[in-house]
Amino acid sequence: MNQIKISNEKYTFSLGDFDSGNKSQWCPGCGNFGIVMAIKKAIISLKINPKDVLIVSGIGCSSKTPHYIKTFGIETIHGRALPVASGAKLANKDLHVIVVGGDGDGYGIGIGHFIHAMRRNCNVTYIVHDNQIYGLTKGQTSPTTRKGVKSVSTPNGSVETPVNPMVLSLASGATFIAKGFAGDIQQLSNLIENGIKHRGFSIIDVAQPCVSYNPNMSNSWYKERIVNIEQEENYNPKDKHWAYEIALKDQEEVIPTGIFYQSENDRETYIDDLPEDSIALVKHDITNINIDSELEKYE
Amino acid sequence: MLWKYIMSNNKISIKVGGPAGEGVFTIGLLLSKYFQRAELNVVYTTDYPSLIKGGHNTCSIRAEDEEINAESINHDVLVALDDLTISEDLKYLNEGGVLICNEKSNFESNKFQVFKLPITKLLNGLDKRVSNTIAFGAVIGLMGENGDLFIEAISSHFKKKKQEVIEMNIKAAEVGFQYSREICKKENKGFIGRINKINNPLGKTVFMSGNDAAALGALKAGVKFVGEYPMTPSSSFLSFFAAHELNYNITTKQTEDELAAMNMVIGASVAGVRALTATSGGGFALMNEALGFAGIGETPLVCFECQRAGPSTGVPTYTDQGDLKFVINSSQGEFPLVVLAPGDIEECFYESFEAFNIADKVQTPVVVLLDKHLAASHFTAKKFNTSNLKVDRGKYIPLSEDKLTNYKRYEFTKDGISKRAVPGQEGGIHINSSYEHDETGWTCETAENHILMQQKRFKKLESIPKAKLRPKMFGPEDADLTIVGWGSTKGPVLDAIKYLNKDGFKVNYMHFVYISPMDETGVKLMLESCKNTIILEGNFTAQLRDIIREKTGFYIEKTYLKYDGRPYFFQDIYNKIREILENGGNLK
Repeated sequence: MNQIKISNEKYTFSLGDFDSGNKSQWCPGCGNFGIVMAIKKAIISLKINPKDVLIVSGIGCSSKTPHYIKTFGIETIHGRALPVASGAKLANKDLHVIVVGGDGDGYGIGIGHFIHAMRRNCNVTYIVHDNQIYGLTKGQTSPTTRKGVKSVSTPNGSVETPVNPMVLSLASGATFIAKGFAGDIQQLSNLIENGIKHRGFSIIDVAQPCVSYNPNMSNSWYKERIVNIEQEENYNPKDKHWAYEIALKDQEEVIPTGIFYQSENDRETYIDDLPEDSIALVKHDITNINIDSELEKYE
Repeated sequence: MLWKYIMSNNKISIKVGGPAGEGVFTIGLLLSKYFQRAELNVVYTTDYPSLIKGGHNTCSIRAEDEEINAESINHDVLVALDDLTISEDLKYLNEGGVLICNEKSNFESNKFQVFKLPITKLLNGLDKRVSNTIAFGAVIGLMGENGDLFIEAISSHFKKKKQEVIEMNIKAAEVGFQYSREICKKENKGFIGRINKINNPLGKTVFMSGNDAAALGALKAGVKFVGEYPMTPSSSFLSFFAAHELNYNITTKQTEDELAAMNMVIGASVAGVRALTATSGGGFALMNEALGFAGIGETPLVCFECQRAGPSTGVPTYTDQGDLKFVINSSQGEFPLVVLAPGDIEECFYESFEAFNIADKVQTPVVVLLDKHLAASHFTAKKFNTSNLKVDRGKYIPLSEDKLTNYKRYEFTKDGISKRAVPGQEGGIHINSSYEHDETGWTCETAENHILMQQKRFKKLESIPKAKLRPKMFGPEDADLTIVGWGSTKGPVLDAIKYLNKDGFKVNYMHFVYISPMDETGVKLMLESCKNTIILEGNFTAQLRDIIREKTGFYIEKTYLKYDGRPYFFQDIYNKIREILENGGNLK
């Protein structure tokens, strides 16, 4: 498998060390709690020092995540988490960069960056809290809202076809594509762990209830539809065609979860492809750069 | 007529015109490099529409043995690669000047010296693509016998090409050169003045565009990440840094759009490297939201905004100074933003370097405003001195630092500036947030905190020395009239006041480089001590005049504005100012 090496012999961090002490601003029962727990567990399981983790978010309920995990964090502006994260990763490739945001942030206002981040294959892990609704702005449709769903912005039912993030990811060249469920912390934590270990861009779309603005899709509504594809007989995440078939089923009657697709050595990450020095850019000394030979070219 | 140098030695102005794709600019650059090697001072400018082949491209080359800072509106020589150039540009050729054209052209005139080149005959088996180099050689031949410098000019210009390309061009230039020499001998006259190698007091000069000078300043400043989306006239920043990726370990990213460019730069800077982006007005509009994020997050970065003539797509390959107020008032809400506008290539280099120091020290974005005229025109200048340039990262904490204790990223301090740790730093964990936050970076929306944070962020600007935030003065102290301007207006104004003072008119120039923030008291005093003032800006609404009035209460009544997409010409400024002074200081 095409995976990055993570080693830290004397690892002493536990869940409590990742507690930021910040009081939560989320509604009781929100799916975000499960996702935050899954991220913390994945980091601990991989024995990563919190100082080497950078969590980058956009704007929205889910984008408050950096406030609740004690690592480095950037809470950017709406839709722009991916370019900020890519810039940070390119500047310091030794960081483990995790990006979080909602479906509106990533598949709506930020969808351009999403596609380019996948084809660029920067080594970051993108976790999308996908609850098919805009929560923080109080209940408008999102790019993943199903056709016919009534919301404050579609009182007569949405007439648009939703984005299928899984198919979009496959088509855009993502090298690790998975879907999890906020209500299954163990599976989700496992997916995130694999996403972080994966060399290259990993996308994990997380089905998540919004108890306040999407009450029709409750925790039990999801549970009735969730299917763990990794338990299927013909499970084969190395086969892109198979992955397409599964991905096309998403948002229909079932919600498939698990790793849809992970490429094998077919692509280097963006940084591997760069011709520059192998030392992280931030570790270069810039105090006295000699440009005499450049100036001579203009004589 | 002033500035007619047809038969003067070591002073010349040449225009070259033809369709895009025919090597018009190559002739211009070769001539410029030839003059640079004769140690003359050179100004090279271009004028072209937004297309790839065809159309009408021109460039202008002015070279003199005296200090010059701007192109000339009229010329001694016109090289016309097509008839369109003759019909469009002959009006700028001095009477008695030389028109060089293809012998196929049936143009005749008694007013000018028409010099026809039998290009087809001269090619004599050479590749058709070197027709322009033959014309270059022909111009050199008219300026004297000392032709060896053109070989150096060609070798320098084509240095990245194969040896056979260089040789073919040298051969072509020799053919043109010999032809001109023969005609001069046959007709027993020099068509134009001679160019002799001089000893320039500046010593060895550099010859480059404003964009190149600014990029070199950034290179010296240690920029490590460049994110840019191509947009005329800023695109050369992208190719400059892409070409230097390997030797200087710089990651250069052509992004999907300007939103990504600015946001990637923010990410890279938060992670600890010096980062820049470059764009023009339209792209800057897209970067606006992120710029405010850099402001509240206290993230240093440098953005080069190369203005072009708007609004909207506007006149995209032409110059303008219409983005000043837009840039100063960037993004929603209020945050400290430093805006400066270099006026020539030396200022481009040194202020670009300085922009990174200011960004790091003040921990805020800096926008360097250029315009197409300065961005793309080439000038000679004294070779830059890099020995006094010191990288100053302010309160940045490098990753080599030991573990921090009780660290607060946005700690309230006397000067408003807090220590800046970056991800990876032991003990430095914090959040950089677009939300208002407390000293730790955590979201905090209380009234008390918001007040203190706004005060903290603006306090930081006070650490920029006041003297820097005042304009520079050029020319006599006791002037009867002071011209006020900014950015690339500097060049033509300096040339105009040189001739005005020579002719007995006492005029000086107040040049704004740092525009925001401004030393309000200092600027007011400076303006009040002027006998009379006039503002020159390349925009319709006199934006700097209004900013000065807003900040100081001083109102500059007289304006000479230009919004035709073309730079100021020093001759026009000369005439305008002379007219005002002869009219008792009043505008007619």
